[in-house]
Amino acid sequence: MRKQMPDAKMDMTPMIDIVFQLIIFFVVTVDMQNKALETSVRMAMAPNGPVEEVKDPRTIVVDVEADGTISIMRTPLGEGQLLAILKKAVNTSGQSTPVVIRGDLEAKHEVIKRVMDVCGKAGLWKLRFAALKEKA
Amino acid sequence: MARKRQRPEAAPAELEMTPMIDVVFQLLVYFIVTIKPIDVITNLDVFRPAPDKNTPQDQKPPNLVRIGVYQDGYTVNDIPASPELLDQALGKVASIDAGQTIMITVSAVSEHGMLVKALDLCAKNGLKSLSVVSASN
Repeated sequence: MRKQMPDAKMDMTPMIDIVFQLIIFFVVTVDMQNKALETSVRMAMAPNGPVEEVKDPRTIVVDVEADGTISIMRTPLGEGQLLAILKKAVNTSGQSTPVVIRGDLEAKHEVIKRVMDVCGKAGLWKLRFAALKEKA
Repeated sequence: MARKRQRPEAAPAELEMTPMIDVVFQLLVYFIVTIKPIDVITNLDVFRPAPDKNTPQDQKPPNLVRIGVYQDGYTVNDIPASPELLDQALGKVASIDAGQTIMITVSAVSEHGMLVKALDLCAKNGLKSLSVVSASN
């Protein structure tokens, strides 16, 4: 009699391990997207504010911290630099480029005004203030 | 001699993993496709009138609703008002004409949170025509 070959069996354990790793990876990275919003800026609450349904990809977010530091993407900028950046944005994507000012609730209006003035100088008129709709 | 009847041996219990993994993949794909992070940021639209150099500074302000935002509180048409009063006033304005322009004059030393609160109250009452003017003091 011929010796019977043992049944070929696939070991499933490593595959399941990888699937779980994938699940964990995706769950964690999705959460990271929200964390990207975290800056030292503490925004004011505006529970009645509208939520933007369609986001304009051209949007420029300018942060204003409580101590008056103006920054874009966490890079502190002087007024001249900000103006240069905004002017470049106007050249590439037009004057209708929206600017969102993400001001700290304790930031003085004086600094916000300076940012708005620079936007005006660059020719940008679509200004918005970001606020928190609910506690994140 | 009685022969013991031999029971047929039970096949070793094996769990079929393939359907489970299929389902897990389906679920994974479903969640990745449908997940949408909750939008916690709101954007308050404002309009900023450009300073008109030809307008004399001492000109009488036009007939519109004026909100003043100061370091220590608000005013509605130059009358001091608490946030609740401001809310009520804006509610009244909105019930008459929701398209009414609201001119918000903000003091330079006031905190940004105060302005956002005023804009939020305008949004709450459905007022959309908002002009933000910065005062020099």
